[in-house]
Parts: sequence; C-alpha cells; structure tokens
Amino acid sequence: MLIMGEVRTGLLQNSAEIEERDHQTVLGLLAGERVRMSRRPIVYAVSPDLLTGVDCRLPSASNARIRGVGTLVSRATITGGRILQGSSYVRVVRGEVNHRLPWSHYLARPGVVEVLGKVSAPDLAGGFLAFGPPGEQLDLGSVSDRFMDVVQESALLDLRAPFRSDRTRLRWVAETGEPGVHFILGESTGRTLRLTHHGEFSPAVVDLCEDLALHDWLLTALLTIVQRARIGGASRPEVSARLAPAVDTLLHLWMPGARIHPSLAPLWENLERTPGFSRQWQSLVERVRDQLAVNTLALLRETNG
Amino acid sequence: MLVFAISDKGGTGRSVTSSNIVYRRALQGQDVCYLDFDFGSPTVGAIFRVSTASRGTTRGGMHRYLQGEITEPSRIDVWTESDRDTIRAKPAGAGQMVLLPGDQGGGEFATFDAEMLKRCVRLFAKLHEQFDLIMVDLSAGRSFAAHLALAATAQLPKIPARWLVFHRWTRQHIIAANGLVKGEHGLLDVGREYGHDPGALTDRIRFVRTAVLELGSGDFAHLRPAQRSWLNEIDRELRELATRNGVGLTTMLGKVPLDPVLQWREQLISDEDVAGTEIANAETVFAFDDLAKKIVDDTAWEGL
Repeated sequence: MLIMGEVRTGLLQNSAEIEERDHQTVLGLLAGERVRMSRRPIVYAVSPDLLTGVDCRLPSASNARIRGVGTLVSRATITGGRILQGSSYVRVVRGEVNHRLPWSHYLARPGVVEVLGKVSAPDLAGGFLAFGPPGEQLDLGSVSDRFMDVVQESALLDLRAPFRSDRTRLRWVAETGEPGVHFILGESTGRTLRLTHHGEFSPAVVDLCEDLALHDWLLTALLTIVQRARIGGASRPEVSARLAPAVDTLLHLWMPGARIHPSLAPLWENLERTPGFSRQWQSLVERVRDQLAVNTLALLRETNG
Repeated sequence: MLVFAISDKGGTGRSVTSSNIVYRRALQGQDVCYLDFDFGSPTVGAIFRVSTASRGTTRGGMHRYLQGEITEPSRIDVWTESDRDTIRAKPAGAGQMVLLPGDQGGGEFATFDAEMLKRCVRLFAKLHEQFDLIMVDLSAGRSFAAHLALAATAQLPKIPARWLVFHRWTRQHIIAANGLVKGEHGLLDVGREYGHDPGALTDRIRFVRTAVLELGSGDFAHLRPAQRSWLNEIDRELRELATRNGVGLTTMLGKVPLDPVLQWREQLISDEDVAGTEIANAETVFAFDDLAKKIVDDTAWEGL
C-alpha cells in the first residue's frame, strides 16, 4: 500500500578513509552475518538487514490515532570508506483483523507493519513527511540514527574526522503508479522525497533513496565548506586551508546513480533536471579548484617576490 | 572538543562566562553548542535570550533525554531563535551556535545508572561529530552532573576534554576552587573512581577568575591612598594564597574583569554593546575572545 523510510547520512568519524578489510569489523558490529561489499565504481559496504519490532502509533496528517504492529527493516552502509548511512523502512498494509496477532505472524512478514483499523495512504504519507515533533509514534529516523551511533562507536575509528558535519535526514514515501519523483529541501537538515514507480515495491527503491540521500549530503557538506571558507573575505592561505578538507575527502565521491537499478534510472534523471544535483555540484567543484589554483599562484608570486 | 564549566560556589559567573566564550568561538567561525547540565536550575536560555527556554524547555530537554523518555534532546538555534536583534544578525563566516536546554521543572538527579551513562556517552559522541566545541555547563558544587561527566569522558578517551573551574578573586573562592579539584570527593578523587589518570586529568583542568578588579586601571583613580594601599596588600595576599592552593598564574587560563553589565544582567556581550551603546567594556569582550582562543590552544594546556 505505502512504503515509507528514513535515511540518515553523516561522515564516518575517522581521520582517513577506512580500509576495505575493516568494513567487516565496523559494520559487523550489528549482527553475526557477513557484510556485503562491492568495489566498483566505488567501495561500498552494506550491513545485513536488521529487524526492529514495533507496536505504536503511526504518523497522520489529520492526527488520527492509527495503530500499527509489525517490523521495520534497517541497515547501515559505508560508501568510499567515508560516508555512513543508517536507513530504515516499512511497508504499511491494512491488517486482516483489528486486533494484535501473535508475534510469529509479524515475524513471518519482515519489514511489514499492519494497521489495526482504518487508514488512508495520503494521510499517513502527509503525517510522516511533515517532520512533526518526536512523540510516541513510529520514528524510523531514530532507529536509523541508532544504528549509525553503534557504527561510530567502533573501536577501529579514531574519532578525528577531517571536518565537522551534521547528519541529514531524508524521509521518503513510495507508491506504485506513473513514475515520478518530488524532492523537497527542508530548512535545516530535513529533506522529503515522494516517489512513484511502476510495478511492485522492490529493495531497489530503497537503494535509490539512499543514493539520493548520499549525494544530497555531499552537496550539503561541500556547500557548507565553501560558505565557511569566506572566499574574498579571509586571506588566501586561510581560504585554501579551509577548502582543503573538501578536496581530500569529498570531491571524488560524487557518483550519482552508480548502484541504481536500470528500471529506476529515469527517476534519477528527473532529479538531475530539477533540482539539478550534478549541475550544482560541478559548479561548486570548479569554484573550489579555481580558488585553490588562484591562491597557489598568488602565493608563488609572493615567494618569488 | 568537550569543555566542562564548573564552580564550587554559586554566583561565580560560570554560566554567563561560558556562554560568552561559546558566543565568541562561534563568531571566530567554529561550530559550537552549549549543554545545560545545571539540572536543578536550567536557566541558560535566559542568557542567550531565548524566551522559549528561559527557565528550561517544555519540548524535551537534557533531563528527559538522559532519563530515556525521549530519543533526542531538543535543540535551539540561537542565531535564529534569540529575541535580541544583535544576536540574530549572524555575521558572515560565523559558525553554528546551538543550545541544548534543560527541562523546565527538571530537578537534580540523585544518582545515575548504566543506561543513563550510556545515553550521555552517546550524546557527547554525536555532538562531537557536528561541533568543534561542546560546552557543558555543570551546576555549582559537587553535583551528580559532574560525576556523570567524569564517568562519560572516561569512556571517551579519543575525544579531547577540558575542564574550566570558575572562581571569584576572594579568599573563600580561592580555597573552594582548590577544594573542588583536589579535595575529598573533588574532581580528581571522583575522576580516579571512574578510571581517569589523576595526572592526565590535572593537565586538563584550568582556572578562570571572574569579576576581577584590575588595580592598575583607571577605575581606581578616585580611591584614597589608604584604600589603594589596602587593596594592593589584599591582592598580594590573595596571589600568595592562590599559588599555595594551586590556583595561581600557571594554572589560570584567563580572567574576566568586573563588568556592570554582567553583574546586573547576565547576557551575551555583543560588539554592539561595546562599540554602539557602550554599556559594556571593551576589556570584557577582549577577555572572552582571549578565553575562546585559549580553550583550544594546546600551548595553554601543556603539562605543568
């Protein structure tokens, strides 16, 4: 009926990119199973799926009391040895009965939350995407966040990240229908995505949302670094020093759509038209490189007298 | 970096000084946050002039987070939510300035359990991801909050942590500041209990003198010679006392002059308060700026 999820994205708390062999230890904290890895076009590791049982109120735009019971699926991923994501989602369906069944019933349907009583998908989606105050309702974000915390606590990490950054929060809902995508950038760290796709839901949709969250975070982080560099306001060496972490850490990580299922590729293309992620990224990258080039030349001129 | 602000006695200007240090650090371009760990009297919102949190928040603050009632404590962006226009005008290049208020009607904790400690550790680690400076305002005296902070930092050896002990320039305050660090159930004593190495912890503690009268300054021109010589004598005695108590110049990070604005209304001192309305003294801002730099300057924290 309706799939909803939340992806949180942040910087892995380590001074350098973590080595390939360390991914198993860092992400393996979450469960006994193996971490899956791919190496092309960028190193990417994903933890096994984790289930969390819930019995709670679901969000609602009309403030209706909707109770849902079931499990949500979460996972943690690391991209390029640098970027950490925690991602959780649920498929919300109408339960066949209006009372809670034994847990075995819900455990047999991983990632499904059954609603006890009546529910409307638009009401649910509206409530979820509104980023209301945290309360006693289903909070996918804090589950995602929690798994990120566990990863960041790994003894392998030195907690000396190259720069400070905020975690972003992308809430998404997906439904079957004529393909379309609508992304809204919120005021602080919140973003929302409404997505419609052909056919049944598949985990490829989650991949798309995570990929979008990753690139939105990259863009946000680079924008912050460029703003803080005070180009034109601070001295040239200072500006260069403030831009350096972007070059060391971020610029090579931009690979939109790298792991997207071909059937969903047109949705990424939509996002590239509006708001135009790669366009903005490219112009920022050029600005950073130009600044570094100009500042280096100025410095050379000074030293050569 | 985690910085803990602590004092043995009330009325030292601990909160107002640490708030101003945070403000100066944000103006210097760093991302900063301020945690109100004064659970019994969560009034830091008033210093930042955030009316929704002047006596703590009702939207879920530090107290409720630590008790596990909420998953994330609420945050206030001071640049946008302060009632003061001069504070809301965030200058270009300034960093984030976020307040994590206490809860209205929170009250002191009598003790803490392993779960609460875990939440505190997790919060510090998460804030370290986002902020260059995390200022934690602990209540006056030997509090449960100080125990919690010592226990949490012992579990986070990779995150740099420093302690600022605030005291006024009086006989009682000097003795009390020394006691708070070295006395029975003092910082070193309790720190050892939680696994801190007393030597290493000592190196992370510095003193800040507040409401200091500068005898050389023009403020004393009107004093009679007898008064002046008496003050000089007392000051000499206090310096000796401070040195004997380990609160002397070598362990002092900085001092804040007596400023009427801070005495009568605890507030952030903006550059407008000095250059525009001239209600505050330039020396005060200079002292805050200096402290804000020294807090992160390793040469000011080398082992003694």
